[in-house]
Amino acid sequence: MTSIARDTSWPEISFEERIGTAEFRIHERAHIVVDGDTCRGCSTRECVVACPANLFVPTSDGGILFNYENCFECGTCYMVCNKEGAISWSYPEGGFGIVFHRT
Amino acid sequence: MTVVACLKWVTPRADDDDRFAGISAADQSALEFALQSAQPGEDVVAVCAGPVGAERALRDAVACGVTRAVRIDLDPRASSSAVASAIASVVTEARLVWCGDYSLDRGTGSMPGFLAARLGIGQALGLIDVTIAHDAMTVVRRLDGARREIVRVSGPAVLSVEGSTARLRRASLRGVLAADTATIDVVTGPSSVVDTVDEKPFRPRARALAAPAGASALDRVRSLTDAGSVTARSETVVLDPPAAAARIVSTLREWGYLG
Amino acid sequence: MSDADVIVVGAGPAGSCAAIAAARAGRRVILIERGPFPGSKNMYGGVVYPRILDELVPRWWETAPIQRWVVRRSTMVLSETGALTVDYRSNAWGEPPYNGATAYRPDFDEWLSRQAVAAGAQLVTSTTVTGLLRDASGRINGVRTDRPDGDLSASMVIACDGVNSFLAKEAGLYTATDPANFTLGVKETLALPKHVIDERFGVRDDQGVDIEILGGTSGVNGGGFVYTNLDTIALGAVLKLPKLAAQKKRPEEIIATLKAHPAIAPLIEGAEVKEYSAHVIPEAGYSMMPTMVTDGMVVAGDAAALCLAAGIWLEGVNFAMASGMYAGEVAAAAVARNDVSAKSLTAYTDKLNATFVLRDHKKLRKVPGLVLSDRVQQKYPAFVTSVVERVFRVDNPQPKPGLRRIVREERKRAGIKLSQLIRDGWTGLRGFG
Ligand SMILES: Cc1cc2nc3c(=O)[nH]c(=O)nc-3n(C[C@H](O)[C@H](O)[C@H](O)COP(=O)(O)OP(=O)(O)OC[C@H]3O[C@@H](n4cnc5c(N)ncnc54)[C@H](O)[C@@H]3O)c2cc1C
Ligand code: SF4
Ligand code: SF4
Repeated sequence: MTSIARDTSWPEISFEERIGTAEFRIHERAHIVVDGDTCRGCSTRECVVACPANLFVPTSDGGILFNYENCFECGTCYMVCNKEGAISWSYPEGGFGIVFHRT
Repeated sequence: MTVVACLKWVTPRADDDDRFAGISAADQSALEFALQSAQPGEDVVAVCAGPVGAERALRDAVACGVTRAVRIDLDPRASSSAVASAIASVVTEARLVWCGDYSLDRGTGSMPGFLAARLGIGQALGLIDVTIAHDAMTVVRRLDGARREIVRVSGPAVLSVEGSTARLRRASLRGVLAADTATIDVVTGPSSVVDTVDEKPFRPRARALAAPAGASALDRVRSLTDAGSVTARSETVVLDPPAAAARIVSTLREWGYLG
Repeated sequence: MSDADVIVVGAGPAGSCAAIAAARAGRRVILIERGPFPGSKNMYGGVVYPRILDELVPRWWETAPIQRWVVRRSTMVLSETGALTVDYRSNAWGEPPYNGATAYRPDFDEWLSRQAVAAGAQLVTSTTVTGLLRDASGRINGVRTDRPDGDLSASMVIACDGVNSFLAKEAGLYTATDPANFTLGVKETLALPKHVIDERFGVRDDQGVDIEILGGTSGVNGGGFVYTNLDTIALGAVLKLPKLAAQKKRPEEIIATLKAHPAIAPLIEGAEVKEYSAHVIPEAGYSMMPTMVTDGMVVAGDAAALCLAAGIWLEGVNFAMASGMYAGEVAAAAVARNDVSAKSLTAYTDKLNATFVLRDHKKLRKVPGLVLSDRVQQKYPAFVTSVVERVFRVDNPQPKPGLRRIVREERKRAGIKLSQLIRDGWTGLRGFG
């Protein structure tokens, strides 16, 4: 994370803590599948910056590691991705996935 | 005869309400086994001791295929033995009673044992595998020290299963639509059922341990955790039930688990 | 016979109001929601304007799960370190029949869905609609769900499935999905004791505050918001998708920078993150709207891009409730007439055109583009705040400079052409005026 000089009085939280504040009911089947091969040829990597849940992780060999579990089901990734076929996107099975509490 | 699934309505976080409540993965497995183990013509009954909100879990069970749903209106602080008594009072002619091994909240897994005692039938608890056959079932129990016990269940019994043993079937859309108007029988449980009210958070009792001996850190960790020494202090004894109970208590005391 | 007269997909504000209206008109309605309960998938900034509910749920304020009644509305323009705030207060908004209110969506949407059930609709949760069913002529007459034995037939379908609306897309009502039409909203629900919130925001009891922010989003076109709940503060940023992806700054970093701004930091000092959330907004308004009706289906709420996101306004729930209500009414009448053709259903579009739903959108059609333009986003906040800074600064013994001179100098410093300023001012005036 980039460091921003600031005078704040709240604790910085790690991304794991941040995502840990949301409830995800995880289904065994992935509702979003990312095709690593297609990503290998992608230099722009929009998903890596934009996914609010930070689920797209570049790997050292130029691929993308994706884990569907802590997903907000927002749709940002398939909208920003420019490569046809890189992301197959659907909603999780009814009753599973993100459950908001105080939003 | 009937097959019963006992479901516990649990609210995972203290400041949550019924919208976020549900039944544990273990209870879902129990419900699935109840549905699978029923023979043609046999009733499958889902029972839940809980508040009105818990009727949602019962409707979900109806949608999955149970033939009857009973809610027992009971003080949510009731002890395991009181819950077992209340459930025993509504369960008749039970051939198999399926429970989750541990509930989502701080469960001890003791309710199924109490229930078997109240119903006067056999028990096979802490199951990690279940094979259902026509006449008898073969089940695998998890024991200490990574050991397993294989049990054949033929007579009436209470069975408690762990969460990963079965995946609850997805209710059909027709089932869900019909369950909306299904009747839920409501039985009022006994009113004074709170044996002990323990409002403190659960903490295991502290045990004094000698500093581990060993040359390397790994050895010391091993000696602390018993890891790798599967047969450390195990023996198999055959005793009649009262003597077995006495032996368990004395052994637990010896190992420092009881005060 | 079909399973229902009307199937409503999505129990958000649009879906529940559609179900209420159609059920009240005597139709058999099934309302399908993919979350475990209505509202569980829904997130927004935090303020609802439920005036439109007066028709559907009289005296709604007595039962709706409200956090605080908004009595202060502010618009804040942030430069790097400065802030210009326009603040309006009306305590009358804190009394019946009220104006705006803060509420949590898992509360509000669930409450609204119960009104639909009370009106006679059947609610089915934990069920995702995966596609549309059509008859031989191509008319939509049902939906497919992800449950076994999961096809459901009806005379017609109302798609209220939110911003990603796969139903409107499957029906061919959108031509394409351009990411430039969407923004990503991220927010933190921050916990603070009620009395601390009261003191910091200058309110008491159940009075609340709504602050919309322009600037402060780390160079990514968008905006921010701060709303007060009873014992939490909702703070978030709305970020234009292509810019966000290009800027290489992650959403949570942009929130962190916004929180550290000298005008924001004191408001949230010591607050703990209770919940982090994200959702997409159809931001482009009128210019991105799909065709609203087809044979056997109408589209309402965010699914039809009816959210109004125009700078000082971030309203979607009221547009969703209104469009849902009209969709429900029109659907009920169409089913009764036994004619659910697109032609018969244009009564819905007519209704939208005749009411605030499309009138506001048409009036403000240029505003979203203007507010999200690079000039307004990158240059104007610095320009406006420095003009005001110089007007208020006392430079004795220098005499006060004239406003016209300040504006000229600051405009040049900010690199804004006069012609652009006039054009944007004109667009803004026409848009808002
Ligand atoms: C960050 C942010 C801030 C906002 N701030 C405000 C604000 O302060 N005030 C305001 O008025 N508006 C605000 N909005 C806009 C507002 O949230 C939306 O306009 C509004 O929620 C639209 O309502 P809807 O019913 O059309 O859609 P939604 O609320 O999105 O509801 C759609 C429903 O359909 C369900 N669904 C979707 N697909 C399926 C499927 N296939 N099968 C079954 N169910 C399905 C979803 O689970 C959901 O419940 C904000 C939005 C965002 C993202
Ligand atoms: S998902 Fe799309 S944007 Fe992300 S790396 Fe793959 S191709 Fe690129
Ligand atoms: S839907 Fe949203 S949260 Fe989920 S992976 Fe895509 S961008 Fe991330």
